[in-house]
Amino acid sequence: MKRLKEFIVTMALLVLATALAYWFYHTTESMTNMAIVYMMATVLISRYTSGYFWGIISCFIGVLGVNFFFTYPFWQIDFTRDGYPATFIGMLVISFITSATTTSMKEQKRLAEERDEMNKKLYESQKKLEVETEKEKMRANLLRAVSHDLRTPLTSMIGSSDLYLEAKDTLKEEEKEGLIQHIREDATWLLHMVENLLSVTRIREGNTKVNKSPEPLEEVVSEGVIRLKKRYPGAEIRTTIPEDFLMVPMDATLVEQVIINLLENALLHSGSTRPIEFTVTKEKDTVLFQVRDHGIGIAEDKLPDLFDGISSERGRGSDSSKGMGIGLSICKSIITAHGGAIEARNHSDGAEFIFTLPLEGEAK
Amino acid sequence: MKDHRELILIIEDEKNIADFVETVLNSRNYKVIKAYTGKEALSAITSHCPDVILLDLGLPDMDGLDIIKQVREWAETPIVVISARTQEKEKVAALDLGADDYITKPFGTDELMARIRTALRHHDKAKAGNSSEKYQVEGLEIDFGKRLVMLEGQSIHLTQIEYKLITLLAKNAGKVLTYDHIMKEIWGPYAGDDNQILRVNMANIRRKLEKNPAEPKYIFTEVGVGYRMQEDR
Repeated sequence: MKRLKEFIVTMALLVLATALAYWFYHTTESMTNMAIVYMMATVLISRYTSGYFWGIISCFIGVLGVNFFFTYPFWQIDFTRDGYPATFIGMLVISFITSATTTSMKEQKRLAEERDEMNKKLYESQKKLEVETEKEKMRANLLRAVSHDLRTPLTSMIGSSDLYLEAKDTLKEEEKEGLIQHIREDATWLLHMVENLLSVTRIREGNTKVNKSPEPLEEVVSEGVIRLKKRYPGAEIRTTIPEDFLMVPMDATLVEQVIINLLENALLHSGSTRPIEFTVTKEKDTVLFQVRDHGIGIAEDKLPDLFDGISSERGRGSDSSKGMGIGLSICKSIITAHGGAIEARNHSDGAEFIFTLPLEGEAK
Repeated sequence: MKDHRELILIIEDEKNIADFVETVLNSRNYKVIKAYTGKEALSAITSHCPDVILLDLGLPDMDGLDIIKQVREWAETPIVVISARTQEKEKVAALDLGADDYITKPFGTDELMARIRTALRHHDKAKAGNSSEKYQVEGLEIDFGKRLVMLEGQSIHLTQIEYKLITLLAKNAGKVLTYDHIMKEIWGPYAGDDNQILRVNMANIRRKLEKNPAEPKYIFTEVGVGYRMQEDR
């Protein structure tokens, strides 16, 4: 098939060259341009066919064509006249060289392209490997943190209920109430943890992308805030969203999880009961979410690896940051998988967590 | 003496949860029967004719969705599905098959009671064939007869579609309505899958009714499922 195509291309160009030369010959009455026209055809043929074959064939045909059509005696092949051998051999050699050069140039270009392609593939697989490693690291951190952190509330829950069952006759009412209250708190915390873990499984297996669909920003924000308030009825949150209706591509359940994590984090770890400010604004091509508390802030030495899922261990002792690390590391993987960014910083009067979501396009 | 208390069937294979729900319902003066498997459930439904069915979708012997299908072949008994949070698709499937509502694990007792109350009320209304003339909750009042929406005593102007939407939600107040269901009710059976038009209209209603659309009082979003309007009393 390819052969046939190249044959047609070659023939067509040669016929075209002959026609052009004929026209030249009749309008200018000069024979000097004939060889040039055929050589041009040879260059083009070499350019548009593969290998050396058609280019060389066209050299011969070109020489024959000039000899047959445009030199004396016309309509005959005759190489024997004075000077003719030199002329035609010259033309043949020049055609040969141009054909060969064009073909080899083309070959080199192809090789370069192949090399580029190969490099690109190599780069991609390397990138994939990096992402894979990143994900593996995240999983390992998570598992470590989880097994570390799950035991504490479970111990407390089992202990409290044992105590209640054994000593319910001698315990005072408020003591009983206290025990049950603790069980409830720990259970709530466990629930929070389990939901976070479920979120991780929603990030598609094998790569760190998420299923995005356009969602009304205000609906996701409001559901997140309402669910948090259901869990912490006393929580004071001042939510501000853009006036305009805005659809943002995202996995709504996951983004809600991030909102809840950050709000809960501010609520439990700011060491303050002053209202949390949750502000969402539209930037040029992203949406910016800002959770700002007015509390003790974050220790400067913890800031760099706050999102790595290990800070909870460092923060231990006071127990105040129990599980915070896992929540934040999950926030980071969710936002990264959306193609956004997340960061934490201190302001003059507390801590501030900021994340962005791109308004358009697939997650990278 | 005949017992007039409403009968609730709990279909749940986790004994702890079934017991907890039973205790709650008994304390609120409902009668309760429990089924731990799908088979038990189906026979309990035919022999006891409960007033409300609480159904956990994950049963050991059969798919909870099949129970909904089978019950809906012959009975309109309200079904409230108990489901885990992350499975929106399962919730939507259950609602589309004819479940009346769902409640997400873990749920508080107040939420559970509200769902049962709503289910019973809508069922009774549907049976009696009449619906009330007004929806009233906090500062919002909708007069279906006069086609009037009042917020804090002020009349609110809504477009035709917006009014249709809010009446649909208000008449089903307390109950979740899926995107598909709303699309079909308002835009007809050929509305298609793209619910953006619904989302935009809801956003407009929200701007007219809610002081802060980020903290709504009347219309709530159930992400991935649909909308639920505040239950009126």
